Amino acid sequence: MMGMSRAGLAERWTLFAGALLSVTLGVALVQSSLLLLITAALLDPPAGASAAERMEFADGTAAAVSMLGVVLGGAVFLAGFIISSTFAFTVDQRRRDLALLRLVGGSRGQLRRLLLGEAVTLGALGAMLGVPAGLAVMRLQGWLMREFGFVPQSFAGEWRQWILGVSFGTGILLAVAGVLVAARRASRVRPLEALRETGPAARVMTWSRALIGLIFLGGALALMIVAPFGGPAGGMAMAMNVPIPAAVAVVAFAPLLVPLIARLVPFRAPGGLARANLSDARRRSASVAAPLIVLVALVVGNVGAGASFTTSGIHQLATQTHADLVVESTGPPGPTNPPSPSTGTPSADTPGAASFSDIPGVASVSVETRVPAEVTTGSGEDRETETISLLVIDPVAYAKTHDDSASLAGLNGREVAAGPGGDVPGAGGTVRLTVPDRDLGDLPVVAGVPATMTGGANLLVPPGLLSAAELKDAPTQSFVTLTKDADAAATRASLARFGTVTTLDDRLRADAEAANSTNEKIMLIVLGLGGLYALIGVINSIVIGAATRRREFAEARVTGMTRGQVVRSALLEAYAITVSALILGGVASAATFIAVLSTTKSVTGTGTLDLPWTQIGAVTAIALVVTTATTLITSLSATRPQPVTQLRAA
Amino acid sequence: MTTMTMTGAAVALQGISRVYGRGPAAVRAVDDVTLQFPRGGWTAVMGPSGSGKSTLLHCAAGLERVDSGRVLIGDTDITAAGDSQLTSLRRTRIGFVFQSFNLIGSLTAEQNVALPLRLAGRRPSRAEVRATLDTVGLADRARHKPRELSGGQQQRVAIARAMVTRPEVLFADEPTGALDSRAARTVLDLLRAMADAGQSIVMVTHDPGAAARADSVVFLGDGRVVDQLTGASTRAVADRLATWER
Repeated sequence: MMGMSRAGLAERWTLFAGALLSVTLGVALVQSSLLLLITAALLDPPAGASAAERMEFADGTAAAVSMLGVVLGGAVFLAGFIISSTFAFTVDQRRRDLALLRLVGGSRGQLRRLLLGEAVTLGALGAMLGVPAGLAVMRLQGWLMREFGFVPQSFAGEWRQWILGVSFGTGILLAVAGVLVAARRASRVRPLEALRETGPAARVMTWSRALIGLIFLGGALALMIVAPFGGPAGGMAMAMNVPIPAAVAVVAFAPLLVPLIARLVPFRAPGGLARANLSDARRRSASVAAPLIVLVALVVGNVGAGASFTTSGIHQLATQTHADLVVESTGPPGPTNPPSPSTGTPSADTPGAASFSDIPGVASVSVETRVPAEVTTGSGEDRETETISLLVIDPVAYAKTHDDSASLAGLNGREVAAGPGGDVPGAGGTVRLTVPDRDLGDLPVVAGVPATMTGGANLLVPPGLLSAAELKDAPTQSFVTLTKDADAAATRASLARFGTVTTLDDRLRADAEAANSTNEKIMLIVLGLGGLYALIGVINSIVIGAATRRREFAEARVTGMTRGQVVRSALLEAYAITVSALILGGVASAATFIAVLSTTKSVTGTGTLDLPWTQIGAVTAIALVVTTATTLITSLSATRPQPVTQLRAA
Repeated sequence: MTTMTMTGAAVALQGISRVYGRGPAAVRAVDDVTLQFPRGGWTAVMGPSGSGKSTLLHCAAGLERVDSGRVLIGDTDITAAGDSQLTSLRRTRIGFVFQSFNLIGSLTAEQNVALPLRLAGRRPSRAEVRATLDTVGLADRARHKPRELSGGQQQRVAIARAMVTRPEVLFADEPTGALDSRAARTVLDLLRAMADAGQSIVMVTHDPGAAARADSVVFLGDGRVVDQLTGASTRAVADRLATWER
């Protein structure tokens, strides 16, 4: 049996090379993401850092860890999906060989063992290559994280001995899991049915496939329904998770959907061969389309969702913030100690807006100073400490500047309120608050503002809770509203003494650009390598699909088609499958967009959808170029020998 | 569940029927056929296209289930045999040869021949496998892969593979259908020699020349046995076939 397995490996090397590549890259991606995640989670702040710097560092690390968590989740999903679908495809492509084994006395168990043996061998071999490849991927991912400023410049993924077990486990487990269902299916085929290509052997949709499709469809629908009730953070997370189950559901039904849509794609093919193949080789069409559907759903769905949430947040911020100018300074501007004109930096001994009110043309000012802090909630086993962002505000001025903050008006003394960033208990709760170098003890949460799309400070505290010394180095934004008769230019000039002055519109525009840029960087880290992996999966499936078509091509040629016509026919078939996959990937993305629309409407009152047309165009172009080029190369290679030679060999 | 029934024949079909489709579209491929293929004899099954020859062969070999009737290989009733019993049957008691050879392309001739024994858990010696290949005149081609062999040679390897387990019955479905006349003659000579040595063979063919090499010929029409000949010449078989094809 092992001899047979070895002979099979040598004979159908393209099939196995494709499967091996999928394991190698999958293991590399999972290993790299996991090592980076562990490294980030155990990262220590630089020696000599102040308490405030330590808290800022912990906040940044927590963000990097959650981002790497998403990267790891995506890597595991993609590895599982690409490896299992590639292995299942290689089994499907060898049905005739397997049926022959059954004819000469092979039992079901022997077939299953043969296929599982292959999977274990390829999984282990893939892991062996995947471990060093993973180190290269880790260097690339780490470089991206540092370049984009998500981690300190000193950050570098660290090797851990136990990762060998994880990587080999991942490779073997995913390969075996991928082959398990296909092996069971293949071994149940009666020898004659497979030889005839009729009955269950040729059946394109199985009950188990339909069941898997329905389960994932249910998952996608559940996320879509619940997302608008999850608040900004929960809703966003749920909406951005829709592409995965939606794509798996679409892929499960692909043997029905791909030929159906492909038939509608307009093209003229020589001899009608491409159309006939589309309706005949449904499973092959579906297997080729599967990784492309996932790629489109993940990239278009997630990038679209990310951009839409960012746009929605910016829009919400713009409509809910009422001011004319924004002054940015380090520490609150002090009335007694005005800043030196040369540096523009105020020396703030006392927080507050008093200094601004002396300036002609200023109607009101909301001074908001951001300080890192730690909150501890719960008790006993549920006790949890989290690094948060705290905003020192003047409750009355804040309520004038920001909508939905009327409840803050009475905030004073040792009372605190839940901020627009969420993540802390609402009114009625208690938090234990620690600011750098000082434990403020238990404080009652007496009010709160609704969580917003862009987030922001988690906790709002009244002036006086923190000392001027604690605020003097903290970044501060002062939202200034001018009187109706103000000389804007003169007032702006006067305010410039306290810090950098911009109009609110310019400030929001700059925030929007920064938010979009951050979103794009996150998407690149989360989807960049994963997308590349899925694209390699697409190439893989085309190569595997073509590996067993030599006889079919030779038959077409001896029937009278020229080599050029055969290649053209294969290209048109690939084109129709690619267009179908793009449409089906679009359907899975559309499911995400429905969740995005309902979530943004529920949080901000306005449903927002900002479609990333550049990325959609890029994905479409790349998909068409890659599938066309791969099909061209594989079909040219498959038709190189004389057809008669191939018919004899087959 | 298999049961023992004494018939004396290599294969006995007792009132078997096989229907494809349902309702008005139903086709009775095999219709209430009762037939015995003698032990140590070579029987050819002939008939016009669509007469049910191949279906009859597949039912007799346990590759296809019958809708009614009973199928016996020797004294074993395989009508309701389960998958593992049929697998064991294919390993030990029956062999197949098909028109399209159906060799495994990645294995050499000797590996193809050794495969049934290895699947049965045996480790055949090289000498044993070579000896079987020698009986079909291909000992010198043992290390060639199917694509390096002619059609006739591939079919002889397929026969060697079917015979390596020393089966009680060899089922052959159009074994010369894809061969030129010279290669076909070689294969038929081989089958004749095997039959003369006591091998039971059931062969479906559309070639009167091939059928005439068998000991007896059974004619099928519309799924039923319509005629039988024993020791007939090619001419006699062709004439009888022409009668039923009209």
